[in-house]
Amino acid sequence: MTALGAVLYREGMIRATNLTFIFWDVFYPLGYLLVFGVGMTHAVGGALPGGLDYNAFFLAGVLGMASFGIASNTAWSFFMDRDNGIFYEMLTYPLSRSEYLIGKVLFNVLIATAQATVTVLLAGALLDVPVRFDLLPLLVAAVTVGTAGWFFFYAIFALQIRRNDAFNTVTSIFYFVFLFASSMFYPLEPLPEVFRRVAYANPITWQVDVLRYATVGIGEPRVLVMESAAFCVFTAATFLAALWSLHRQE
Amino acid sequence: MPVPAIEVVNLEKIYTRRRGEPVRAVDGLTFSIAPGSIFGLLGPNGAGKTTTLKILTTLIKPTSGHARILGIDVVGDPLKVRQHISVVIQESAVELFLSVRDNLHTFARFHRLPVDEIERRASRVIAQFGLESESSKKVMDLSGGFRRRVQVAKVFMVDTPVVFLDEFSTGMDPILKRSVMGLLRESAQRGRTIVLTTQILQEAEELCDDILIVSRGREVARGDLHTLKLLASGVYEVTMTFNRVPEGLETELAARHPLRLSVSATTVEIALKEPEHQVLELVTALSKRAQVLRVEIGGASLEDVFVQLMLDGAHETPEHAAITGGGR
Repeated sequence: MTALGAVLYREGMIRATNLTFIFWDVFYPLGYLLVFGVGMTHAVGGALPGGLDYNAFFLAGVLGMASFGIASNTAWSFFMDRDNGIFYEMLTYPLSRSEYLIGKVLFNVLIATAQATVTVLLAGALLDVPVRFDLLPLLVAAVTVGTAGWFFFYAIFALQIRRNDAFNTVTSIFYFVFLFASSMFYPLEPLPEVFRRVAYANPITWQVDVLRYATVGIGEPRVLVMESAAFCVFTAATFLAALWSLHRQE
Repeated sequence: MPVPAIEVVNLEKIYTRRRGEPVRAVDGLTFSIAPGSIFGLLGPNGAGKTTTLKILTTLIKPTSGHARILGIDVVGDPLKVRQHISVVIQESAVELFLSVRDNLHTFARFHRLPVDEIERRASRVIAQFGLESESSKKVMDLSGGFRRRVQVAKVFMVDTPVVFLDEFSTGMDPILKRSVMGLLRESAQRGRTIVLTTQILQEAEELCDDILIVSRGREVARGDLHTLKLLASGVYEVTMTFNRVPEGLETELAARHPLRLSVSATTVEIALKEPEHQVLELVTALSKRAQVLRVEIGGASLEDVFVQLMLDGAHETPEHAAITGGGR
């Protein structure tokens, strides 16, 4: 078994001890869509710009939020590993620091992909969202890179902050800033200029815009290419920063 | 000449701190360890033992100097080093949510053992460590002592040629500790190199065939047990058991500034650095004050050597503190 396979096995074994958690991970975006999405569809009434109803618009948002959540939970597991002492022992195992980071997120990428597939399939079946199944490979890629990018981003903080209550505060701030200043819950076009600028500088917006195109085919291809490229750069940069943080563990 | 299992040259580690002076945890250590030996790294708290181990196990980088495991530089090729070592760190390190058996399986997978071999070894190790009735329990449901067992058991799942044990016996009962020490001796006989730190000097005395005593990051003494005991020649350990310890004896004995003194209801244990005839005179004098049930006079133990070296070091300037015995 390769080092990556061993980390994947370990993460899988730990998560398999709590099947409720896996079930929750896979189905909660759908629940979010059914409660919040349906509620907003009726509250907003009528179609959003682009002719979409809110459920169709919010499908990408809920997938983005889910991968953001999985990433922060995975990063939080560094604290659990530290508390168990296994974190430092693992750093003496025959695997590179980058294999450790990638392996750690790999299992959760699989969960995120399963989660996205279930959510998209049931959104189409239950809420009549006009899903573009021909774009499923793009959806998988967006979920994979998105989950990895956010995990590496959170890992930087999880590895540098020693107190998990401090990390929880940081994640709360990030949830507030990243999720609401983005195209996750609402279209950006009608918003004030300043808000729009902030939202377009937010990597969540880049990921959600690509997810929106991959789910319901809405978006400007030229902008989406730029956003995809920007998110890949973001992922590479956060990976390097997380790796640097991991190398500095003393 | 065979490649040493471990080679350390002028190793230094300085921790810089945001506030306060930098701390020199390891200060120019140089030593090598022969393959198949059990090497004890001893010293008081804060002597630099764990820092040295962290450098050798690639957890931290040295500030300067070199360290090689089986000829592989710990800074230059840390991944290759990790392929040849297994480590029991000082803190508890187990997968709390996994069963005992799954802990062993998971560890072995990192070392790329085939699955059927993992299963075979896990059953053997579980039996060796008396974990049969706990094997399917989650480690989070076990006591601290059992968790430590699981942690130490892991290194017996694999065949890495070098093993590092940082205070491995913490929390172990004496019977298991004896059994683990036996396993370590067997491993060393098969060519495995064991490096251990311990605060329990009796453990090192029984187990180690090569010892390095460090203090303030520096070598204080080095050699096998006999060589080190020569450093404390003239030290005698006296144990006397009375029907009852004479009144005021502890204060009288303390006035002689012994290396070690322990007085219980009936037994006095004292380690003295005094000429032989004075020690015999003391025993004779004590035997007249109460009924003696047992007398034992012996040479210095490793603990006496350790205490004496530390006391000597405390009275010397750091520049002159190093006393080097023989050794490899």
